[in-house]
Amino acid sequence: MKSKGLFRELARIVDEDGVLWRPEDLMLYEYDALSSQRQPDAVAFPRKTEHVVQIAKLALRYNLPLVARGAGTGLSGGSVATEGGILLVFSRMKQILEIDLENQRARVQPGVVNLDLSLAVADEGYYYAPDPSSQKACTIGGNVAENSGGPHTLAYGVTTNHVLGLEVVLPDGEVIHTGARHWDRPGYDLTGVFVGSEGTLGIVTEATVRLSRKPEAVKTLLAIYNQVVDATRTVAAITARGITPAALEMMDGFTLRAVEEATHAGYPMDCAAVLLIEVEGLREAVEEHADEIEAVCRENQAREVRRAKSAEERDLLWKGRKTAFGALGRISPNYYVQDGVIPRTRLPEMLDFIGNIEKKYDLHIGNIFHAGDGNLHPLIMYDERNREQTACVIKAAKEIIMRCVEMGGSITGEHGVGFEKSDLMPLIFSEDDLELMSRIKNLFNPLGRLNPGKLLPTGKMCGELRGGTAGGGPV
Amino acid sequence: MTLAVESVRVDLATLVGSSQVLTDSAARAALAVDGKVPDCVVTPATAEKAAAVLRYAGEHQLAVIPWGNGTKISMGNPPRRYDLALSLRELNRVIHYEPADLTISVEAGMTFGEFQDLVGRSGLWLPLDPRGGVESSIGGIIAANAAGPLRQGFGGPRDMVLGLKIATTDGKVVKTGGRVVKNVAGYDLGKLLTGSFGTLGVIVEASLKLFPKPPERATFAMRAGTLGVARDLHRSIRRSPLDPLRLVLLDSPAAALLGDSTAVPEATGVELWIELGGSNRVIERCMLELRQLAAAVRATMARLEGAEEAWAHVSNLAYWLQPKYRDLTVLKAALPVAAGEEFLSRAQQEAQAERITLASFAQVGVGIVHLCALEEDVARTSFVSPQRVPDGQGKAADLQNRSALQSLVARLRQAARDLGGTLVVEHCPVDLKSQVDVWGACGDDLEAMRKMKSAWDPNEVLSPGRFVGGI
Repeated sequence: MKSKGLFRELARIVDEDGVLWRPEDLMLYEYDALSSQRQPDAVAFPRKTEHVVQIAKLALRYNLPLVARGAGTGLSGGSVATEGGILLVFSRMKQILEIDLENQRARVQPGVVNLDLSLAVADEGYYYAPDPSSQKACTIGGNVAENSGGPHTLAYGVTTNHVLGLEVVLPDGEVIHTGARHWDRPGYDLTGVFVGSEGTLGIVTEATVRLSRKPEAVKTLLAIYNQVVDATRTVAAITARGITPAALEMMDGFTLRAVEEATHAGYPMDCAAVLLIEVEGLREAVEEHADEIEAVCRENQAREVRRAKSAEERDLLWKGRKTAFGALGRISPNYYVQDGVIPRTRLPEMLDFIGNIEKKYDLHIGNIFHAGDGNLHPLIMYDERNREQTACVIKAAKEIIMRCVEMGGSITGEHGVGFEKSDLMPLIFSEDDLELMSRIKNLFNPLGRLNPGKLLPTGKMCGELRGGTAGGGPV
Repeated sequence: MTLAVESVRVDLATLVGSSQVLTDSAARAALAVDGKVPDCVVTPATAEKAAAVLRYAGEHQLAVIPWGNGTKISMGNPPRRYDLALSLRELNRVIHYEPADLTISVEAGMTFGEFQDLVGRSGLWLPLDPRGGVESSIGGIIAANAAGPLRQGFGGPRDMVLGLKIATTDGKVVKTGGRVVKNVAGYDLGKLLTGSFGTLGVIVEASLKLFPKPPERATFAMRAGTLGVARDLHRSIRRSPLDPLRLVLLDSPAAALLGDSTAVPEATGVELWIELGGSNRVIERCMLELRQLAAAVRATMARLEGAEEAWAHVSNLAYWLQPKYRDLTVLKAALPVAAGEEFLSRAQQEAQAERITLASFAQVGVGIVHLCALEEDVARTSFVSPQRVPDGQGKAADLQNRSALQSLVARLRQAARDLGGTLVVEHCPVDLKSQVDVWGACGDDLEAMRKMKSAWDPNEVLSPGRFVGGI
């Protein structure tokens, strides 16, 4: 417990109703979509940059950790105060400060909900491209910190490809502005470094992001397979034809049945896998690509290829996909989701491997992949009360992630390293690589009080996997 | 050769092999930067040897400038010191390539031409048209974040780099990112190195995202006549469903220059060139769409055959125009997209006030405007027909001309700033660099940039003084 002085000083900055400090209030903030960890010492709700500056200085004075949090939908423990301290929650900094359609830009506070930004410009024919499945809840600030992805990043890139500039509060309270409202500002691309730095270098208090034009036409296809391997083969075959779909998702039969029961989106109950494929662009191009994709699917033994006939049908298919995690949560007390990436041509091999792991440890694994870019989200079902099973989950997860690394892939494609995977970093980075990263962290965060224990290995449990326990957030 | 230089040569020969260290004057002069000639040219055969050279340089307080093929070396302020040229030419291998994954890893010294040939065999490309074109090196393109007009359709190198290997001044080879297309593990130092102009570390290997080539491409010239019509046309294109690959607005002198040196018919007024890609059916549709947009503003439109050469000139202004205009100065303004045309009209006014002729090549769709300041005597005739001025016969610029240029840079920089943008001098006579900072003023993140520099290169080994704020 910290002194009353801290709370009084926090209240002086953000008013009394901007601070939480009672244990029962803090309980709400001890977890994110990965797992439950520990409570912060206090939660503060800044309403403007100046509040963040003052709180940063206060945290420095009290030598307390300072952790930024958007909506807490993160899947790697990035927004949990694992070492206590002050949790800065941005739910009161949720203004869209400026929409500049002529320049296809918006300037937003970090607490703006991802989907709200798209909705704000939808009538004018624009949207914000990165679309994490949690987009109804997650915030732009959190997206920036984690460099979030989503199904449509296949064609349009992840968060970092859509952020032009940032206002950042450094741990000593200094405010800097990186990037610009245009391309090619001279100097180092600090924006590119802050995006995805998981709140360990500075706290983002404002972001300038790119808005995209909605395409003239969209077609959504659902290819249905009796064999998973045929679905995975289709993925590389599509790119081999020179087509980059806007999205290319895969769900296996196990997942589908859970999804269908939860959402009644019209997914078949008796298949082994589906591909959800979307093409966008000029009407003529979309028609051509849809036809070609359908042909490729059939060449690869798709039993049926459906096309969404209306916007409602399309939305329903996507609703099924984006709520898949929740659907699986209905059938299992716990699940552990991974975020490994492999070269997309290795998908068939990887599916086999996961199947073998399932048998080896007698587990159920639901496979939901951003197949087009080789980003895997195997969901391992378990019951945390069953200690033996929980131990198997940890082993299974580790084998899967090791296999991703062996295939030349990564330990995380979009969820971030956070607390969960920090000690897996040595699997893909050498000591020298990590030393350089910590040197950069020390430049901005010399005392290590900004989001401690995240991103870089703590060295306490080298190579161990930190499984989640709760689960339920969409991906 | 001084004794000191000889001892450096001997040491470096031990590190990288004696045939890889040159000290003869021709070799050194070929790698001069802004008139400064290095003492040695070192060409390591491996990334580790490149790192060893950097460490050695740090220990002996030597300044190093990394070289790919030198196509962008004129960008930057003059180096404060320059002892070693580190040539990456021999680092030109393919490390990993799987066409079906649309990814490739190559060493940094590979030329862009060789690279495109290789991936082109599988129908793929890296959709960039950087300054230096096929002669650029992959490392140089990344170090300069060099994007040409294709940025309109595909973004820049920043969006295509998946991972890098970097030789650092403490003698190590470090990695950032990876080989797969989606990866958020660790700080994204690839972004930091992209556009760092060789001041943090030396890029020795790059993993890149590849793209399928569009089946067909076509360029249309829309003859707008005036800047106002061009602006309206550009706006309506932006609001249309069209998704151009490239878009450039040419003012009269620029259109005349292109008409003069390519197969493209000469024009007299402002033109908007647009390149589209897709199947023939898609291009047909685009053409119909464009024709309507053009008709609405009373612009005429023509499909250009053989536009590739003209596009190559537009992405490579300095190389194309330098032989014609000895004291060529190329300025690059980067602006909010909607401000492009307004900047152009301000630029024309300012240039008239300084009696300098500008040829403007404006990638208005991405807010990048290149202004080429041509020589005085050319200025007087170029509005009508620059081709009448025989190559290389322009007068040497006098002092008055220099001060006019200097003042023009200041005025245009102010104009860019007023519109929310920046202006960089991309190419100019060396003596102008002693009078203007080619990068312009910095923001409140300069201190953070300086810190970044000190974390990577505490002894200022790499390209000292060439980057922003004296970095």
